[in-house]
Amino acid sequence: MESGSGFGTGALVVIGLYLVMMIGVGWIGRLRRKSDSMADFYLAGRSMGLPVLLLTLYATQYSGNTMFGYTGKAYRIGFEWTVSILFMFSIIVGYLLFAPRLVALSRRLDFITPGDYIRHRFGSPILTLLATLLMVYALGNYTLAQLKAMGVAVEGITDGGISSAWGIIALAVIMVVYETLGGMRSVAWTDVIQGVVLLAGFSVLLFLVPGLGGGLTAVVEELSVSEPAMVGAPSLEVCNTWISFVFLLGCGAAIYPQAIQRLYASRSVSVLKRSLTVMAFLPLTTTLIALLCGLTGRVVLPGLEGVETDQILGRLCGLIMEQSLAGYWLVVVIFAAALAALMSTADSALLSISSMFTRDIYQVHFRPGAPQSELTLVGKIVSWVVVAVLVVIAISTEKTLVRLLELKFEVLIQIVPCFFLGLYWRRLRTSVIIWGLLAGLAVALGLTAAGHSKLYGFHAGVVGLGVNLLICAAGRLLAPARPEGEG
Amino acid sequence: MKPESPFEGEGLGDEPRRHPLIWVVYLLLFAVAVPWYWPTGYRGPLVLGLPLWTAVSLGAVVLMALWTGFVIRRWWREEA
Repeated sequence: MESGSGFGTGALVVIGLYLVMMIGVGWIGRLRRKSDSMADFYLAGRSMGLPVLLLTLYATQYSGNTMFGYTGKAYRIGFEWTVSILFMFSIIVGYLLFAPRLVALSRRLDFITPGDYIRHRFGSPILTLLATLLMVYALGNYTLAQLKAMGVAVEGITDGGISSAWGIIALAVIMVVYETLGGMRSVAWTDVIQGVVLLAGFSVLLFLVPGLGGGLTAVVEELSVSEPAMVGAPSLEVCNTWISFVFLLGCGAAIYPQAIQRLYASRSVSVLKRSLTVMAFLPLTTTLIALLCGLTGRVVLPGLEGVETDQILGRLCGLIMEQSLAGYWLVVVIFAAALAALMSTADSALLSISSMFTRDIYQVHFRPGAPQSELTLVGKIVSWVVVAVLVVIAISTEKTLVRLLELKFEVLIQIVPCFFLGLYWRRLRTSVIIWGLLAGLAVALGLTAAGHSKLYGFHAGVVGLGVNLLICAAGRLLAPARPEGEG
Repeated sequence: MKPESPFEGEGLGDEPRRHPLIWVVYLLLFAVAVPWYWPTGYRGPLVLGLPLWTAVSLGAVVLMALWTGFVIRRWWREEA
């Protein structure tokens, strides 16, 4: 939120109570733990029922970027950003390409991290370590972005009374406290509250924001006259970008470690299936609303440029607050939803980082015989250390300096063949996967470094994935057939 | 490879990867959802307040979401 739209004492107290409640829920999560094992700490004992699994998937998948970044993007490019609904949906299709088999395996073999699957499938410590480091890198970036957004949000609502740095520190501490209290159980239960608040926040936005521009039809008619390019169908090159987004998110977000761990954590396959069925519709209640808010902002508050455009939601909220007392409190709900989106995404990513360090690095490489209680203790320490490092980076770096750190999908997506192909192609060897991964990374990072973040509309990461997949396919064809092979 | 190789698909009765029809339908619906077939800059009449091309794209997403529900129910089954 921008400066100047700060909340009064009453609203700040409500927000404060909401945050304290998160710690309370974390404490209840600790009381409900069944054992001091990694499966209990990182997967809630594989006991998630439908409401918890659905809302934790939802709250984790839709981040603070959905509220602030997506409204800003819609403000800048107009209806072209309809692609956001398509790519968020494509994540569910991505799951269908590998989740049924991975989930069946994980339930039989007690996987805890994505690395467990890679180790089991390929039997290669080098590949597992490489994939784990890439996943930790991607998730670190993801968490970093959420922390920075938290700082901006806190500074905005307190009208500068609390600086961005202290806002980041306070929210990060709250997050890591409830996470280390009860692990996944606490994170998932706070996600339930955060998911409900997020849904409520988007409902309020749909109810209030288009009205600021006289209703959706009036907004679109106005835009059609003032900026017809924002309303018209996109060019073929932009359509390439749509397709690229479908691959980037459909593959990349589906293999986010925190998402995979939620697949592992469901109480039953039936619960998971029902959760994913509902999730397929949620872009329509979330990203579509962000699109409509951005478009309304373009009409109501034209003329914003650069980073200011990402403040459009905050500025629209400022207008709503001025209209009535009810509007003021509804904006409090919207802000709580923004905090919920940020924290629920960051805490899940943080827990995943902790689990991968502990399971795939500490246990495998340093203490194979460590008792479960030691491993969960190490995981908690790792959480605090990682948060401390990320908070320092978030406070000390300017956005312009962290372009390289913003690369996450471009990197993460190169692990896709391990899952999408590795589960199905018997003849896909470890060496081929590693060469494909390295070639994909080289192409993606090379293109980005050379200033070509897109090629004919396709993201550098997707071009890299294309090369990666070609190498995997060639490696499979050239590999000697096995007598009873299917691949 | 251990006996519990992922390739055996143990624990799975059926999965969407085994049915090409599913992916043909997705491909067709994605082809409708991506607005490559409209003239650049075309808006068309408003449908529920949205430009025609956007409404068609969103309609395709809704159909895909419904199809996904059906696919999950029909073709993702645990081993009996």
